[in-house]
Amino acid sequence: MSTSVISAHQKPQAKPAGQGAIELRQVRKSYGDVVAVDQLDLTVQPGEFVTLLGPSGSGKTTTMMMVAGFEDHTSGSVLIDGKPVDTLPPRDRNLGVVFQNYALFPHMSALENVEFALRMRKVPRTERRQRAVDALDRVGLGKMGDRKPRQLSGGQQQRVALARALVFNPAALLLDEPMAALDKRLREQMQEEIKTLQKSLGISVLFVTHDQDEAMAMSDRIVVMRDGKIVQSGAPDDVYNHPLTDWVASFLGDTNLIPCTVVERTGDEAVVDLGGLGRARVRDRGAQGENYAVSIRPEHLKFSSAAVAGNGCAAKLVTSTNLGATVRHRLTAGGHDLQLRELSSDSAARFAPEGEVWVRWDADKAQLLVLES
Amino acid sequence: MSTATLPRTRPKGRDNPSPAGAAPKRRRTGWWLLLAPILVFDVVLFLTPLGKLVASSFADNAYQRVLEDPLVVRSLVNTLTISLASTLVTVALGYVIAVVLCNAGNVMRVVLFAVVLLPFWTGILVKNFAWAVLLQDNGIINAFLRGIGLTDAPVELLHNRFAVIVGMVHCLLPYAVFPIFSSLTSIDDRLGLAARSLGATEASVFRRITLPLSAPGVSAAGLLVFIISTGFFITPVVMGGPGDMMIANQIDYYARQLTDFSGAAALAVVLTVMVSILVAVYQRVLKAGGQHEDN
Repeated sequence: MSTSVISAHQKPQAKPAGQGAIELRQVRKSYGDVVAVDQLDLTVQPGEFVTLLGPSGSGKTTTMMMVAGFEDHTSGSVLIDGKPVDTLPPRDRNLGVVFQNYALFPHMSALENVEFALRMRKVPRTERRQRAVDALDRVGLGKMGDRKPRQLSGGQQQRVALARALVFNPAALLLDEPMAALDKRLREQMQEEIKTLQKSLGISVLFVTHDQDEAMAMSDRIVVMRDGKIVQSGAPDDVYNHPLTDWVASFLGDTNLIPCTVVERTGDEAVVDLGGLGRARVRDRGAQGENYAVSIRPEHLKFSSAAVAGNGCAAKLVTSTNLGATVRHRLTAGGHDLQLRELSSDSAARFAPEGEVWVRWDADKAQLLVLES
Repeated sequence: MSTATLPRTRPKGRDNPSPAGAAPKRRRTGWWLLLAPILVFDVVLFLTPLGKLVASSFADNAYQRVLEDPLVVRSLVNTLTISLASTLVTVALGYVIAVVLCNAGNVMRVVLFAVVLLPFWTGILVKNFAWAVLLQDNGIINAFLRGIGLTDAPVELLHNRFAVIVGMVHCLLPYAVFPIFSSLTSIDDRLGLAARSLGATEASVFRRITLPLSAPGVSAAGLLVFIISTGFFITPVVMGGPGDMMIANQIDYYARQLTDFSGAAALAVVLTVMVSILVAVYQRVLKAGGQHEDN
């Protein structure tokens, strides 16, 4: 539908290569006895888009605030481009920040908002104006410079906030749930635009969100946080397909969790006993715990025309629900409730309700993980 | 009044009954009866005496008489200068207190609120005499100044303009603190964070963000404080010298010493008109200033 307003082909800002690395070493933040962030190690490579993903209270925003310099950390060290910034005030950290509600200055026009950082840097008036206009052009708001924030829509305010955070060529961009206030369609559009802009500028981004879809769509790397700790980090599809714990698996989307006992572990793979479903060969990342389960995403379960030895079982179809693009089938097998999701275009009315079916899955899509709960 | 259009719109509502079955509207013919008590009160006890006062001010050439009185002209000038000075000091001091209140912890905030509100609940006479005790020649402040060897003879702190302004500022402070405080608390904290991330120093945050966004509270406080200060009567008597009489003292003098009621009425009207003109100019200037907040 709507084309991207932010143009990717404009000349990138002059910017020395290899800039914009953010590093956190053993960073800890406590308020009295409450530990908000616990011994956190995190690196954002130059040009990398890293998302801190977690529920509220997981410490992700606190972490970002410590990078920006708005919160002091209790111990540890924050480095930008290899230099410790622990004692630097926010104004000297050279980081662009976009807040959840944009925090645009309501008494200034869009252009004055964008100019602000340059004004603080004593850039001469004509150059300042030119750069601010360029920055507004880059986010497709070249003609809106005179408007006050209250005269702009949510999406436009977000773009002004982006232009304001980018106009002074910051070392990196920090985004704190910047799309929480937008409706779904606009949010998806802005996700793509921000991603495109980030790639064209080659700027590092530390992004904070609790929305796993947003994290999946935008990140080079997702860092999943819980209770002030990193529980898993990796490329989006890696974290999604190979979660280390049932909590990560459930937080990132729907999944089938089948409790199991480990029979044999051989490096990347393990043989597990799924109880009533027999034995299966699954992916293993060496997670250690007391109780284990196998996680299979609903879209990785497939109907099978015949019995499959190992990674498959007989099941009974309970209900099928058409969700538009996909169909969700609920099944029971060996005393477990399972969910199977397939494209509606693939789903013929071939199964009678309450019918006996076969399901199967690929060994590399079934992940051995630790049951925490 | 908008209520007057109700009888005409009601039949239309009946023709199109809402499907949800809304409760039928009550007839509202007697609505003005609810206003009757306050109307009677206002007309009998306020508007009538006010009308009488204005009418009596035109008797006996009163305006010419009072405006030719050099003491009246003197006290009009006093009223304006003392009110202006008190307003400036009160708003500046009130701003500082409001900023401290905003940044204070919970306990500190309660204590400060109590300190600010206490003069609000104390009689003006009590406050002024308390200041008189503090400021007099053998009062605490002079004793302190002598004690640290800053002065040998007592410094004259009472019965002058300085003392009048001190007494007035003390009374006026709450009227400045609260409007400014409420406009400061309505500023989103993240604006300050955003400005800092964009390179602003604390001073720039104050000048570019906090001050302009709290301007409505400051202007409201200034207006309120100025209007109240033009009517001060006791403070110039208790704390001022003979040269610090304000217009309210002059009205009192005309009414009670000279028993010149038409003169007193004329003075009251002159004060009201003068303050009204100043307020109108003030608001015009503010409006013009609001058009282009940034240079």
